[in-house]
Amino acid sequence: MNFKVLFSTMKVQMKQSFARPMFRFCLLVNPVVNTILLYEMYRNSGSDNFMAYVVLGAGLMALWGCICFSSAGDINRERYSGTLALIYAAPAGFPAIILGKIIGNTLMSLVTLCISLITAVVLFRVPLHLENPLLFLVALLSAIVTFITISSVIACLLTLSRKTELYMNCLEIPIILLCGFVFPVSVLPNAVQFASRLLSPTYAVELLRMSVNGCEDPALFREKLLMLFLLTLIYAVLSAFLYKKIDRRVRIAATLEVS
Amino acid sequence: MIKRFFQQAYLYHKGRRAAFEAEEFVLMQIGYPLVTLIFYCLIASFSFKTTDLTHWVIGNSFLLCTNACIFGLGNLFVGERYYGRLRSIIASPCSKIGLILAGGVFPTLFAICASVCGLLVGSLVFHVDLTRIDLPLAAVAILCAMISAACFGLFISSFGLMSDSMHLVLNLVSYILMIFTGAEFPVSQLPLAGQVFAQLMPLTKAIAAMNKLFDGNPEGFWLNLLGELATGCAYALLTRLVFAFAERSAQRSGKFDMF
Repeated sequence: MNFKVLFSTMKVQMKQSFARPMFRFCLLVNPVVNTILLYEMYRNSGSDNFMAYVVLGAGLMALWGCICFSSAGDINRERYSGTLALIYAAPAGFPAIILGKIIGNTLMSLVTLCISLITAVVLFRVPLHLENPLLFLVALLSAIVTFITISSVIACLLTLSRKTELYMNCLEIPIILLCGFVFPVSVLPNAVQFASRLLSPTYAVELLRMSVNGCEDPALFREKLLMLFLLTLIYAVLSAFLYKKIDRRVRIAATLEVS
Repeated sequence: MIKRFFQQAYLYHKGRRAAFEAEEFVLMQIGYPLVTLIFYCLIASFSFKTTDLTHWVIGNSFLLCTNACIFGLGNLFVGERYYGRLRSIIASPCSKIGLILAGGVFPTLFAICASVCGLLVGSLVFHVDLTRIDLPLAAVAILCAMISAACFGLFISSFGLMSDSMHLVLNLVSYILMIFTGAEFPVSQLPLAGQVFAQLMPLTKAIAAMNKLFDGNPEGFWLNLLGELATGCAYALLTRLVFAFAERSAQRSGKFDMF
């Protein structure tokens, strides 16, 4: 992997993404309006710590929105710009370029968590506690890695379709619902919870919430971290496998730009 | 005149739907809105700690019109500019109010269908008893709400004459509707300025009327609906005013876009 390519792609991607009004909405406006909406919904919930569901929930919703509307849609944007075939065939390597784009987007999208936090503090002056900062850092880093991995799986799959806009719109809310970004997964029916457990962000969100509320059971934290690690690994392998399959198919059929 | 109005309305509808496939229709017009409804009802059940989700099923069913009336109709003038018809519309001596309103006919019908579907699915999933209300009155409330929402959508679409960031505007408007219409939490929770602003929004009064119907307390029902219709008419007139301003500005400066 060429790290120079990775870093320069990250830099260009951040600039390009920020130039788009929709991304600016996802990055700057979405966390603010989500925080307002969730705060009003959780205001009378009896909870005295709004960090777990309001700040974290709004920030994660916005972060996922950024991932859906940028990382997943970037391949389509390259297709419409006529540069997809060029970056695909470039000696720098398509995976390095796409990974650079995804990492750039995901890192920039972390701003949503800060905006959500600032909104809650400035507008509502709500009590916010972070019980275990060290565990929060571990959970956040794991979440970033898992979001990057799941984005690369989605990006790979969407290489094959021209209906990217449709799919990225349809991915946003269902994943937020299934992964329990704004309520615990236990609220969902058992059959739906099974699907939630197959998605790595579910564990990432639970770990973040455990670190915010205070981890009473370190063994449970380790267990969830291990599950997150395993699922992330599976997604990474799946992403590499899909890339190889797609690469072969695209080279045989020569349909990269019109698939 | 009336025949031409409906011909125009049908052409608008055909133009918007021509590129749609069955898969897109099912995912974007049926699946995604219903998942969104379920998502917000689940947040409400957890945050408000209640199993009676009647108010949220009503509110979110009404908000399902966002797809047709805000995202569908909001791009009306952007589409006209994109397809090169804005010039003909501005230069034509025909009645502009009829032309503008024609764009709202089919989105209103789609919005009515979406709201009815939302109510039915919501009542099935969250056990809301629809038999306890007067169905004709409920139908009148839905009709008024959707006419008002379509007029609001037309008003928002006029921003397309002034801005090239309609994605941002439309997404922001969809959140404003969630926060200020009383669909997700009672309007009384908002600060005074927010409560006043909420009364200027479409759907607020229709949702209140529908809630009264479900609560078995229809006092003020018709007043709410009259208010809702007046809000819709005000937005239709505002659209005409904005368009007249754009028309004059275009004729004076020789430009068809105000940005």
